[in-house]
Amino acid sequence: MKTSVVFSAFLSLLSLASAATTSSDRKTYPSTFRPPQVFKNANLVHIISLEKNYVKESINVLVENIDKSPQNEYYVPFTADQLSRLGGVEVKDRKDGSVGPFVAEAVELDQSDTHYIRIRLPKALAPGAQQALGITYYLLKAYAPRPASIKQEDQQHLAYAFSAYAPSAYATSKQKTDVKFPSSTIAEYTKLPGSGDVARFPQQQGSKLTYGPFDEKPAGASQPVAVRYEFNKPVTHVSRLERDVEVSHWGGNVAFEERYTLHHRGANLSALFNRVKWQQSQYYQPNTWALKELKFPLRAGSADAYYTDVIGNVSTSRFRSGKREALLEVRPRYPVFGGWKYPFTIGWNSDAKSYLRKTPAGGFVLNVPFLEGPRQAEGVEYEQVQVRVILPEGARNVKFHTTIPTQSIASADVEIHRTFLDTIGRTALIIQARNLVDELRDRELLVSYDYPLSASLRKPLVVFASAMAVFFAAWVVGRVELKFDVAGKK
Amino acid sequence: MRLLPTVLSLLGCLSTTALAAAGGSGGAKPSANLRKLPPGERFNLFHGKATASSAAAPLKLVEADYRALVATPRDYSVAVLLTAMDARYGCQLCREFQPEWELLARSWTNGDKQGESRVVFGTLDFNDGRDVFMGFGLQTAPVLFFFPPTMGPHATPSSDPLRYDFAGGPQAAEVVHHWIARQLPNRPHPPVKRPINWMRWISTFVVVTGGATASYVAWPWVLPVVRNRTVWAAVTLIAILMFTSGHMFNRIRQVPYVAGDGRGGISYFAKGFQTQYGLETQIIAAIYGILTLSGITLAVKVPRIADPKTQSIVFVAWWSILFVVFSLLISIFRTKSPGYGFAVPPFM
Amino acid sequence: MSAADPLQVLASAGKGESTRSVLRVIILALIAGAAISSRLFSVIRFESIIHEFDPWFNFRATKYLVANGFYNFWDWFDDRTWHPLGRVTGGTLYPGLMVTSGVIYHALRALTIPVDIRNICVLLAPGFSGLTAIAAYLLTNEMTPSPSAGLLAALFMGIAPGYISRSVAGSYDNEAIAIFLLVFTFYLWIKALKQGSMLWGALCALFYGYMVASWGGYAFITCLLPLHSFVLICMGRYSTRLYVAYTTWYALGTLASMQIPFVGFLPVKTSEHMPALGIFGFLQLLAFLDYVRSAIPSRQFQTFLWLFAGTAFGVGLLGLVVATSMGFIAPWSGRFYSLWDTGYAKIHIPIIASVSEHQPTAWPAFFFDLQMLVWLFPVGVYLLFQELADEHVFIVVYALFGSYFAGVMVRLMLTLTPVVCVAAAIAVSHLLDIYLNAKSPENPDAAADKDADGKKGGKAGLKSTNKPLVGIYAGWVKSVIVSSFAIYLLLFVMHCTWVTSNAYSSPSVVLASRLPDGSQHIIDDYREAYQWLRQNTREDAKIMSWWDYGYQIGGMADRPTLVDNNTWNNTHIATVGKAMASSEERSYPIMRQHEVDYVLVVFGGLLGYSGDDINKFLWMVRIAEGIWPDEVKERDFFTARGEYRVDGDATETMKNSVMYKTSYYNYQNLFPPGQAVDRMRGVRLPEVGPQLTHLEEAFTSENWIIRIYKVKDLDNLGRDHASAVAFDKGVKKKKPAKKKGPRVLRVE
Repeated sequence: MKTSVVFSAFLSLLSLASAATTSSDRKTYPSTFRPPQVFKNANLVHIISLEKNYVKESINVLVENIDKSPQNEYYVPFTADQLSRLGGVEVKDRKDGSVGPFVAEAVELDQSDTHYIRIRLPKALAPGAQQALGITYYLLKAYAPRPASIKQEDQQHLAYAFSAYAPSAYATSKQKTDVKFPSSTIAEYTKLPGSGDVARFPQQQGSKLTYGPFDEKPAGASQPVAVRYEFNKPVTHVSRLERDVEVSHWGGNVAFEERYTLHHRGANLSALFNRVKWQQSQYYQPNTWALKELKFPLRAGSADAYYTDVIGNVSTSRFRSGKREALLEVRPRYPVFGGWKYPFTIGWNSDAKSYLRKTPAGGFVLNVPFLEGPRQAEGVEYEQVQVRVILPEGARNVKFHTTIPTQSIASADVEIHRTFLDTIGRTALIIQARNLVDELRDRELLVSYDYPLSASLRKPLVVFASAMAVFFAAWVVGRVELKFDVAGKK
Repeated sequence: MRLLPTVLSLLGCLSTTALAAAGGSGGAKPSANLRKLPPGERFNLFHGKATASSAAAPLKLVEADYRALVATPRDYSVAVLLTAMDARYGCQLCREFQPEWELLARSWTNGDKQGESRVVFGTLDFNDGRDVFMGFGLQTAPVLFFFPPTMGPHATPSSDPLRYDFAGGPQAAEVVHHWIARQLPNRPHPPVKRPINWMRWISTFVVVTGGATASYVAWPWVLPVVRNRTVWAAVTLIAILMFTSGHMFNRIRQVPYVAGDGRGGISYFAKGFQTQYGLETQIIAAIYGILTLSGITLAVKVPRIADPKTQSIVFVAWWSILFVVFSLLISIFRTKSPGYGFAVPPFM
Repeated sequence: MSAADPLQVLASAGKGESTRSVLRVIILALIAGAAISSRLFSVIRFESIIHEFDPWFNFRATKYLVANGFYNFWDWFDDRTWHPLGRVTGGTLYPGLMVTSGVIYHALRALTIPVDIRNICVLLAPGFSGLTAIAAYLLTNEMTPSPSAGLLAALFMGIAPGYISRSVAGSYDNEAIAIFLLVFTFYLWIKALKQGSMLWGALCALFYGYMVASWGGYAFITCLLPLHSFVLICMGRYSTRLYVAYTTWYALGTLASMQIPFVGFLPVKTSEHMPALGIFGFLQLLAFLDYVRSAIPSRQFQTFLWLFAGTAFGVGLLGLVVATSMGFIAPWSGRFYSLWDTGYAKIHIPIIASVSEHQPTAWPAFFFDLQMLVWLFPVGVYLLFQELADEHVFIVVYALFGSYFAGVMVRLMLTLTPVVCVAAAIAVSHLLDIYLNAKSPENPDAAADKDADGKKGGKAGLKSTNKPLVGIYAGWVKSVIVSSFAIYLLLFVMHCTWVTSNAYSSPSVVLASRLPDGSQHIIDDYREAYQWLRQNTREDAKIMSWWDYGYQIGGMADRPTLVDNNTWNNTHIATVGKAMASSEERSYPIMRQHEVDYVLVVFGGLLGYSGDDINKFLWMVRIAEGIWPDEVKERDFFTARGEYRVDGDATETMKNSVMYKTSYYNYQNLFPPGQAVDRMRGVRLPEVGPQLTHLEEAFTSENWIIRIYKVKDLDNLGRDHASAVAFDKGVKKKKPAKKKGPRVLRVE
């Protein structure tokens, strides 16, 4: 069934590859630009989930065309700051899932704090017609720890500020905002006067707060509210992830290496680290907001994993490779508290058969996960991700397709990478993405390329020839007579 | 801490002798009037004593003089060596340092007859001043105390003495001189004058000349020995064996020749990889020597024996020696480093 | 041309010399392979990591060289060590090692094999050990006609623990390449001497220059070659060959050595190099006299000439002494001098005496490092006395001095090992040649006069070799000897493997321990702490630690240090020692004045780790006392009974010292009250641990081996820290802190 996926994706390669590249250069509009008021949000439900250490927001909106002519461009406003931290924007049709994700691209206004995400509806919406949109996106670096620095044994609290009214470029007749928390202990939250039959907002059920329902609100209306709640887990933030995927046809091997630059964005220590307290806390209350362990679920058949940092091998890691999946558990050299850094590198090999396919056309298709970060209960956020697929020497005609939301793909280009015994260097596809989260772990990356036989034979021939040359040179040198006179007496 | 044994011995005798001396520690009487004297006169008195003859310094004090000497107020400095020369205490260090101390005191005092530096050197033996030792709660000897002046130009705020310890073993006079000089800023420091040892010079001269003449006379006989290759070989081998069996270690660390094990016997081999005894190294050297000798014999002598039977016999003899002794060597090494797993019969 | 001489030898042996030479090459390759692979224990057991302490600096320097190129490396001023002094690194190191691996690195790059520089550094020593084995082979072949001796020597050289100790994978130190250079220089010297050839002399000088660029131990060559020549002269063996070889070597070699900034003009100014110069002059004199004598054959004149030569030599020596005493020539450097006057270092330079590898060698160490070679070695030397050719004299001299130095300093076992291997190989091969000889002589008298080399011994020879060489009659005798020596050699190989794997293969950065179930457990505290420093402290945070860890901090934590293992500034080290040995109040000003941010101490109490700072503490005290005898006194750290204690009975000075406080701070809280024990010293600690006022604990590694403390900033209210801490603890202060306003650093 996997192969069918590959091919179905492979057919649509060309178009999507081009789309990815166009998304890299954004068009900027004058600051006077305002979205034409052609839509109206008939009903809107805004769900903000704070369970992970990034914010996942989803806006389910029923839009209605109130214009005379059919319209196909729906705008969602964001502040410049939000836009820089915005990732993984996906828009779906709520009614039928068969319609693929709509194209969503950033529209930036110069000297203006308000920018937009433009959503292109696949087919224009007739006047008066309605369409249900499901817009989901992630916001990184969304929280601030409050208090900013706490004692080693204290609980960590995070604060998040947002608007009770969903940000919208259009008038909204009916809306409500749900906020989901990791636990039901919510220290503080803004209270609003109620409307209609509700005395006051918000209402709390378990670990969920609900603001609304609100009645008619104009375009761009906002009602700032803030919540502060317990989040006693590490706020893991990967500011940069460099992921190398190196394909070797001779070795029949695909080598992965990932270099993480990892920060803890949580609360700092108010007093310096105390080992005694730490060792005691290991017994008494093991769950802490310090990062102790990272679990990397790898594809089945992954082998010889390694875990190093700038000084060398880190011995505190376990690798279990089973039938169904392989699990790499790594522990940082020291518990990572708020404000501390811990950069490290992991890597592993796996059999090319499970990633590489030969197409009838004679080319090859490589299908690897775009992102294979750790799977943590509290989640992981990636600010910048660079995926570099190093193809064998002489690979040509490289195209790629990924199911990562195109809005997150910053750039993609093909370069030359020189390494062991290369003469012309290997073809490397480099994709820059930003603002990803670990929920996008298993999105796949398809790379297709041609690899003629001549290219594959290049290396052995070159090595053989040079070795021969060396031997010949040695033979010649051996022939040279060093003595001045052969009959020299000792 | 080579001081340690003497410390302990001295400690023992202190406790006993203290009880013995508990009864009558008289002799404080005459010193009473001495102590009355103004500091200046006291200094002149003691300094006069010291300079009376060239060998007077350092003053041999009894407790009374001592108390008088260090009594406050004083406008002069006092350097007193508390020592225990009596053989009973077996204070090796004291005896070693005594000549140096006398040398220092004499050269200083004679170097400064007018007493501009205003220092008095004195020695107080344990027998003459038990209570002083008690007073300081001393458990080790020797100890050098320096009493700074409490009045006059060079007065120091605190009147209590500075203490010089001999933790580093016996010190040369110059070292102590340096220390004292540090305590006496901007005053003359007469240097230590070591008397020229004529006897040594003469003897060395005689020896050298004698040796020279002797060698000249005996040259015809010496020459073949010098030229003899076997002699050189023997010398070389002996030297090598000496060095490789840890002789230098003994020289540098002054290890004991043998040490007794707990149960009254003597242990020939020191416990531990990093240590060894003098006798131990000699045993090892002997073992190496035997092995070398057998090796040489097997390599050089045996193949030169013309008669097959004797050759076989000699061979068997030396070979078995080699075999047994090497196995012995390995077994000894096993005792030195317990983890060592290899062995050769017969000493498994 | 290496195979040339054995080939000539084999020509007499008869047919099949080409096959033999092929075999020989293969065997040598195998030996080199064995030498390399026997040094890889640590890589297999742990990882490809740099070992110990000094290698970390070499590694760092190499990285700098690779990154910034040779000329920047040459005038590299390193401001991240010896804060605030800095170090003119380019001019104060032996660049040979770094340049070597730099060249290898770039060569591999050129071959499009981008190997990580770390791996090159780690594997450099094993690689060169292979070359050393081959060099030993060549050297031995110059000594004896026996073809097997060379191979045996190569084998011994390859696996002798005495050499492995400094050349396992990861011990990236100067010795790694220096021993190869040593042996090869000697080989070239012998070659030059035997042939009297200028070419070989020049080659010898070239490699001597390389050696000088690589290791301070070059002085060994600088003294050994003149000594050899001098002995030859005294034996009346002066020859033009000697003249040519020596003068070529000295002239070129000295010039080459003076190219190294670190060496500079030492070769003409220090006493270590004077013997070479003296012999050089003496040789000129002799050459002149020789010429004159050959011109004027008259006995009296000759005797007069010889007298003249002798007096000239004496006068030269006298002049040398005078020049030294007048100060024109620097006296022996401390390290070198302490080899002769063995008591010198302990009294005058505690820093040198404090280094463990400068301790004298006990006999077990000899046996440990050489096993049966230690007694085969004299046998070989004796055999060389049979025909005492010039090259044999060299081995004899080398043997004597090598064994002396090895006895004085553990470290110099390294320089002894090659000659031991050569001599022992000669002995063994001699034995085997005699006892493996298949054909036995028929009957005595026939054998006696038939044997040609019976006269070999001659009059000048050894007494033992006067009788003719007969051979071995009984076959069983041969079999016995051969089998027993086969067993011994096997045992030797096992011994070497055992020693290497047990003693010399742990990278002291990572400690390995065994879990109850026998599995290996890695204790990685050093890197844990260094990584923490590297990631979570300011880029330019100054770390104060004892000098042993300076290089590691520089290499792994990448932070500036006050002192490090290049102990060029005794005072600075003594300052750190003083700061560690005195109380917080007294050492705080020192730390502030040196801008110290963190204090790092090594504490083995929890794990029973012996190499910790409390055990080294007395050396810190001694070194500090050497500079400030009034402020730091070793006596104060011993109890009245002269014991060095850390428990409740420790002296007050000890308890108040920064080292003690930082080592044991908060340690007792790890145990139930009153149960705190120091597993290293095996003592119970007092119930109440030390209190810190001017420092605060910043980080402690998992097993407490590394403890890092932050030096507090000046108090905001201008109080001294003691009262500030007391105030925070809520203790009532006697007198209120009067100093408000500007924050000042009080210096007692």
